[in-house]
Parts: sequence; structure tokens; C-alpha cells
Amino acid sequence: MLKKIWKFLSSMRFAIILLLLVTLACALGSFIPQGQETEWYFETYSPRLAALIVGTGMDDLYHSWWLLGLTGFLCANLLLCNLLRLPQLLRRYRLAGTPAQRRSAPVTASASGLASPDPVFAGLHMPKPIETTAEGRPLRYAAKNRAGLWGAWVCHLGILLLIVGFTLGQMSHREYTVVGVPGQNLPVEGTDYALGIDDFQVLLREDDTVEQYLAQVTLYDLSDPAHVTGGQAEISVNHPADLGGFRIYQNTVGRAARLTIAKDGQVLQDQICCLGDQISLLRTPVSLTLQSYVPDYDRAEDGSPVAGYAYAVYINDEFYTMDVQPEGGSIGYLAPYEASYSEPQYYTIIQLKRDRFSGIALAGGLLTMLGLFLAFYLQPKQVWALQAEDGTWTVTGSCPKGGALFRDRFEELVKEESPC
Amino acid sequence: MLKVENTLFTMVMIIYFVSMILYFVFVAAKKEKIGKAAALLQTCGLVLHTAALVCRGIGAGRLPMTNQYEFATSFAWGLSLVGLIFVYKFRFPVLGAFAAPVVFLIIGYAAMQSKEVKGLMPALQSNWLGFHVSTAIIAYGAFGVSFVLGLLFLFRSRMTEGSFWAQHVPEKEKLDLIGYRSVCLGLLFLTFTILTGAIWAERAWGSYWSWDPKETWSLVTWLIYAVYLHLRIRRGWRGRAAAIFAVVGFVCVIFTYIGVNTFLPGIHSYA
Repeated sequence: MLKKIWKFLSSMRFAIILLLLVTLACALGSFIPQGQETEWYFETYSPRLAALIVGTGMDDLYHSWWLLGLTGFLCANLLLCNLLRLPQLLRRYRLAGTPAQRRSAPVTASASGLASPDPVFAGLHMPKPIETTAEGRPLRYAAKNRAGLWGAWVCHLGILLLIVGFTLGQMSHREYTVVGVPGQNLPVEGTDYALGIDDFQVLLREDDTVEQYLAQVTLYDLSDPAHVTGGQAEISVNHPADLGGFRIYQNTVGRAARLTIAKDGQVLQDQICCLGDQISLLRTPVSLTLQSYVPDYDRAEDGSPVAGYAYAVYINDEFYTMDVQPEGGSIGYLAPYEASYSEPQYYTIIQLKRDRFSGIALAGGLLTMLGLFLAFYLQPKQVWALQAEDGTWTVTGSCPKGGALFRDRFEELVKEESPC
Repeated sequence: MLKVENTLFTMVMIIYFVSMILYFVFVAAKKEKIGKAAALLQTCGLVLHTAALVCRGIGAGRLPMTNQYEFATSFAWGLSLVGLIFVYKFRFPVLGAFAAPVVFLIIGYAAMQSKEVKGLMPALQSNWLGFHVSTAIIAYGAFGVSFVLGLLFLFRSRMTEGSFWAQHVPEKEKLDLIGYRSVCLGLLFLTFTILTGAIWAERAWGSYWSWDPKETWSLVTWLIYAVYLHLRIRRGWRGRAAAIFAVVGFVCVIFTYIGVNTFLPGIHSYA
């Protein structure tokens, strides 16, 4: 029984079933919105379907226990398949290239009565044949592309590494986000580091489209801000930097502005706030949120654009009202306080990441490529010619993967070589 | 330069259309010379198509592979190229008769897209773009050819021996083998596409795999062709089952390319 299970687990039939199930799961996951709140599924789908989606983990399908299980079985299948095939493969590889190999090689094409086997060897681009004897008669033997025997094995190993590297990376990677504007030093929550945003620019083209987001950052030790731990780097989209064991990415941007709150002409609060930040007004139950920045909210008398800051007022976290403050104006509703937004600027979102296993996944990907190349383009071939007593040659070719195409070429060459 | 590209593109469409008609006439009239003329005309079309892409690249100041129009015309170019290679390599003009309509449909789809040249968004400004997209073009082209071969395989048994079809369409074993070669080429390049895409995504988005619908469907396509390869190895499954998977695989390719953008937008929504 155990032997049967073992055999099934390492079988190609099981591999095909797993591949089909994983394919189906992946496709399904692309149609069901992932990672939404449970209520969302019940609002969007029928109760029965929503219960099925949530109950089976299809709301987070790519991290579900059953997809992980299928992937685990696929890994086991790949591993077993590779382990079981290894001894046979090693034997075949060692034998390949020796005339003894021809005895077990499946015959793809054969022809007798040739005056010389050389044009067939040359036409099939075989290396110089080994000259020996078999059964007391002259034998010429040539083999090539024996590395191709390893194609599927290397490919399976690559896929295995890819899955393992990816899964370990997903389980262990650490990701941190820092949101800020130039001049700020911000703690990287959950680490002993702080990130200084020394500079940040949005480079625009003539047509006002974004060419690049460019940030200058410094990684500090949180306990000792004077100590630059990881050094400084310039980062932009597609050009992350490696600092202090982190890979640091320029992720995305948004609008920010300076919020100033004063009373009787005395500034009480002055800070940079990003879109969406809810800022409490001193010790009052009132808070403000910058909703959006509109560069051409209005026109001045001379026709130049006047910017506006759309904001929302909350009292005890309950929405109270929404309005727009023109540039240079002030926010109403807050008397006796005077508040205003000014100095529109961009904030940047910087991502810091540690993934110690991405190298394994990359190695897996490269091995998969190599394996596919070996399997597809280095087809092991053997050609041997045995001389008959009348002096003519019987030429045989073995190229299981070449099949009919190898046979056609072989027959073409035989036809060209006029038989005696 | 973009005006030249526009003119060349129109010429290419006309040439592909005429070559498709010639292929049809070749099949209907059963005259080999017409088949050869169709292949020759398609070759001329491919040369002009190459020139059009070069002009587009020079005019835009970058590789012409960054929006729906550019990818569609490049996809048609890849399919035309791979199709012609197989037509000449395996002396198989009937393949052209089946591949030409697919090429024409894709270039027709390209013609319906906006040809406007825009500056690249920051995420697309990467040297990986060229590797990622050009390998996808070859992969998709090869899968297109395997799709045609899969269809031919499925209809091969209905072709009576000695008929024009039977004379011009290789026997099943050979069709299966040529289809296999085509899938091999496609799968190798698709793997390269996914790999370069992952490396690029890691640099641009901070994650080499995000289960974005385009990524997911590339994986689905890859898995379908992996099943195809395993089916061919299993005794008794070679041939018909493999041919069905080659056809299903190309449906996935088309869904990955057009369907995902239409129905499942994600971070690849520009592609």
C-alpha cells in the first residue's frame, strides 16, 4: 500500500493532476477580488457563494491552506521524481557517448547497404565517430548533446527552488513603509532605524507628465541619529538602493501641504500633513483632513491660476463639513482659531524591504530556463554504423525527441548517399 | 518618422490582407505557385513591418513596446516571423493559410488602438522592458503557430489520403512534432518573459510577484503548456490531447493579452 502511495506521489499522472488543479486555482483567484473584508463578499455575491468564498479561503486564495497544500504536493512530486530518476540518469549520462549505449538506445531510423556512413555522420552534424569493433566487425559510433539528458531534471530542480524560495520569502520577508517630505527624519516602525528624506523631486516633462520621482535618503541608527548606519543613496522608480541590509524603493507619491494653526496672531501648531492625514486641532474635539490639492481651483484677476486645498472638518471624529481654502486664504469654521494650508508639496512613500530568499527564487528561475533550453535544444543523438561482411555499412540513428523530423533528415541523407 | 511609420503600417496591413487572400486562393485553387507567392508576399510584408517598427522606435525615441498599439503590432510581427520560419523550415505553406488570418486579426486590433506617442511613465523606464516584451512577442508568436498546428492536427484525420490537404499537411506524427517544437520555443521564451518581468517588477514595484492578473494569467498559460509537455510524454496522450492543450493554451495567451486588460485590470493595465 505504502509502495503504491509512494509510486503515485512521484508519478507523472499525479504531476499532471496537480498542475491542472494549480492552474484552475490561479485562474479562479484572478476572477474573485482578493483580500476584501468579509462583509464585502456578502454584499457583492449571494449569501451561499459568499459563504463558499470566505469559507474556503478563496478571498485570499493565493495564501490559502489548500493552495499551499497543492503546492506542497507539487514540490514533493518534483523532489521524488528527481530523486528517483537521478541514479538512472547518472548511469545513462555516463554510458552516453560510449558505443555500449547503442544497445539500449531506441532506434529512430536505420538504413543498410551504404558505401560509406560518413555523409550521414556529417549531415547530422555528429562529432568525429569513435572507430571500434563489435562482433568482430568495424563499428563507428558518435553521440552528441548528452547534456540534454539533464534538461527535465534541471528544470524540475529550478521549479522546486523557485517555489521554495518564493514561499520562504513570502513567509519571512519584512516590509516597512515610510511616508514623508524632504527634511524629515522618520522612524522605520518595527526596526532600530530611522530614514532621513534629504530631498525629493518630481521631475516633469514639458507636457506636465511625470518623468521620474527622485529621492535622496539616509539610513540612521534610531538610538543615535548622528550615526549614519547604512549610508546615503539616491533612489527613483526602477532604481532601488541597498542600505543597511534593506532594499529601499521609491514607491509612490502624493500631495502634502503645511498646516498652520494660530490664535490671536500666535502660531500654535505648524506641521506638514499629507493627503488623508487627520490632524487634531490642539486640545479640541475638532480635526482637519486635507482631501485634495487643486492647482487651478480658481483664476486671479490677471488670469493666473489660484490653487485650492479641499479639506474636511470632523468633530469627535464625525464628519462635519467639507470646503475649499484658496491659496492665501484661511479655513473657516474654527473660530477663535485661524488655520490655513500653504506650501503645497509632494510627499513620498518609501518602501524598505528584506527578503533573504529572493536569491534562491532567482536561482530557481535561471535553472528552469537552463533546464528548458537543455531539454528542448540539446536533443541527445547517437548514430552508429556497422560494416557488413560485403563491405557495406548499416547506419542507425537514435534521437527519440527528434522523432519524424530526425527520421526525415536521416532518410534524405541516406538517399543522397547512393547505395552500392 | 512617425508619419513614415503610419504609411508603412497601412502598407503592411494591405500586404498581409492580400497575402491572406492569396493563401486562401492557394487552398481553394490548389495551386502551389500561389502558395509560394503568398509566402513571398507575407515575407515582403514582414520586411516592411520590421521597417515600420524601427521607424516607430526612432520616432518615439524608445523601444516600440509600451502600449496596446505597439504591443499588438509587435505581436503580429512576432507571429508573422515565427509562422514564416515554420513555413520555410518545414516547407509547409498551408500553415501560412491558417496563420495569416490570425496575423491579420491582431494587426487589425492594433489599428484600432491609439497610436499616440506618450512619454514613458517612470515604472516603464527600464532596460528590462526590451527583454521582457520582446521575449513575450516571440513566445506569443510561437504559441500562435502551435495553435494553428493543433487545429490542423485535430482536422488531419478528416483529410482524405491523396487529397490536396493530405498532400500539403504533414502526417499527424509530424504535425505533433512541429507543434511540439513550436511550444518548446514559446515556453522557453515565456519563461524568459516571466523571469525578466519578475526581476523588473522587483526593481520597479518592490515585489517580484504580486499575483497581478497579468502575472497570474502568464503563469496559467505557462502551466497549461507544462501540462501539454507532460501529456506528450505520457503514452497514449500524445497527439489529440496535446493538440487540444495547444489550442487551449493559445486561448489563454489571447486572454492574457486582451482579456486581462479588458476584464481584470491591475498594475499591468498599460500593457
